[in-house]
Amino acid sequence: MHSTFLEFLLRRIVGFAAVLLVLSLMIFLLARVVPGDPARMAMGPAASEEQVQDLREEMGLEDPLPTQYIRFLSGAVHGDFGTSLISGRPVTDEIMRVLPATLELVLVTLLLMVVVGLPLGMMAARHRNGWVDTVLRLLSMVGVTMPAFLVAILLQLFAAYYLSDWPLLGRIDRDLTVPDGPTGLLIIDGLLSGQFAVVLSALQHLAFPALALALSGIGQIMRITRSAMIENLRRDHVQTLRSFGVPDRVVTFRYLLKLSSVAPLTILGLEFASLIGNAFVVEMVFVWGGFASHGLESIMQNDLNAVMAVVMVSGMFFVLANLVIDIAIGALDPRLRLKEGR
Amino acid sequence: MSATSVSIPEPDAPVILSARRMAWLRFRANPVALIGAFMVITVLLCAAFAPWIAPYPDHAGNVIDFANRHAAPSSEHWAGADKVGRDILSRVIFGFRVSLLLVVGVLGVAVPVGAALGLCAGYFGGRTEFLITGFTNVMLAIPPLIMALAVGSVLSPTLINAMIAIAMLWWTWHARLVYRVAKSVAAEDFVEAARLAGATHWHILTKEILPNCIAVISVKTTLDAAFVILFGATLSFLGLGVRPPTPDLGSMVADGRQFLPEMWWGVLTPALGIFYATLGFNLLGDGLRDMFDVEV
Repeated sequence: MHSTFLEFLLRRIVGFAAVLLVLSLMIFLLARVVPGDPARMAMGPAASEEQVQDLREEMGLEDPLPTQYIRFLSGAVHGDFGTSLISGRPVTDEIMRVLPATLELVLVTLLLMVVVGLPLGMMAARHRNGWVDTVLRLLSMVGVTMPAFLVAILLQLFAAYYLSDWPLLGRIDRDLTVPDGPTGLLIIDGLLSGQFAVVLSALQHLAFPALALALSGIGQIMRITRSAMIENLRRDHVQTLRSFGVPDRVVTFRYLLKLSSVAPLTILGLEFASLIGNAFVVEMVFVWGGFASHGLESIMQNDLNAVMAVVMVSGMFFVLANLVIDIAIGALDPRLRLKEGR
Repeated sequence: MSATSVSIPEPDAPVILSARRMAWLRFRANPVALIGAFMVITVLLCAAFAPWIAPYPDHAGNVIDFANRHAAPSSEHWAGADKVGRDILSRVIFGFRVSLLLVVGVLGVAVPVGAALGLCAGYFGGRTEFLITGFTNVMLAIPPLIMALAVGSVLSPTLINAMIAIAMLWWTWHARLVYRVAKSVAAEDFVEAARLAGATHWHILTKEILPNCIAVISVKTTLDAAFVILFGATLSFLGLGVRPPTPDLGSMVADGRQFLPEMWWGVLTPALGIFYATLGFNLLGDGLRDMFDVEV
């Protein structure tokens, strides 16, 4: 059985590698068919034609396209995306600098989605067709239909009126020194260095952006959990347990929950793509200064090398997240890993 | 022969309703779907007759009315005025045009392409199936907003490019959905019968299998319309949408945001506009899903 699970994982990894390969080819072609000249962009309009030509050769833009693609790909595998056309610094360094901010936001958001969405879905299933269920379904509908940028702005507006002391922009209070921790995640670094003021401030700053980002996911997870719970409640073994007089609480938490968390986990993986996308908007509204803000900046400035790196890194995160979720689902549901493994 | 001459109506013939009529009855009995349909129809009417409905039709363009700069909602400007004194309500009504144009542009390409690929994969099987489903799964994994942003930045940020970027990834969902239905339909006896009767592949694909996919396609397309509107608004909120002065819901929100929290009406009305349109399509899609009783 062990080997089949490994095989299942291996298949997924090959599939995900294919995803990244196609993504890299698409973004490369896109970046090379543009009318603008990257070398000209990097040098500015004042540079002479010879200077631009020299840079073109230096950047390898004169080589045939397949050679260029191979070079881009082997660089990407080693984590090297060239230098930014705007700042002249290595693209990877710039991304590494801003990545922890987004990582922290995304992790808290995912936690929020599960911690809020799953219990609400269970509650709706328990009181199905009652008023609790109706209210929750309406709320999830609103969560799914509201674009993230609207939620972000409305939350900001609400906080500005009712919580006038609540910090709304950035990651941390200005007068606090950021601990120089190993992870770059303010909550963890703050805890490690024992600076609880940092942790508190970071949590306060995280609250609204994470909520804005999590709302649509909460709605989705709630909906899926509800229908999975209702469906699984009808299963024979659950009915048998109930007829033996096993308390509802035990049935729900020991048997139903595990069975019903596969579907929401799958949704979480798909939801991750829109989560990355929405992070661009939410970071902009809350001046977060993370990966997405950086990506948006590079896109606006036409910094091609940085744009390519941003797309590849986002794709990588999506793939990694789905791999983790696949492993989790495999752990939860043995049937799945056996079936897929064969 | 004799049946035509002796045409006595059966006295208590059971009332047989056509499938279409049954579906309509089920749709009509669903208040949520009716509300959704009403909302969608109002959005469509607003877009179609914007110049006649909007109180200030010329405010869709480059009009400057400094006397009414940031005017609060009043009987003159129901939803207030923006930073150059244009009537916000009029601009929201015109803004639906851009949103719906995007929907038609994106789904007009994505739905036929996705459906055709899904049909072929489900019907032909074998290598065709492997290639198409493999490619679809790879494309499904690309975060659409990031791709749209990249396309928008590499080509110039215009409505057409936004459409191309979204359509490039949107077909995948339809391909996957139609593939699932087509594969199960292709195994049915009537398809086998058609093949034995000498029907061409084209005939089987379009006349035998496609009609069975129409229900899922229409439900998915309706739900998609909401997502495309939302997506387009997000893109133009980030500055990758239509060029000013064309009124567009997303960029109106972005404009209004600079004057929060005092001039809240600059954000609230376009925000409600987006919400109204997306909610309408979502409710209608849910209603259609119940009506056709399909899983999307």
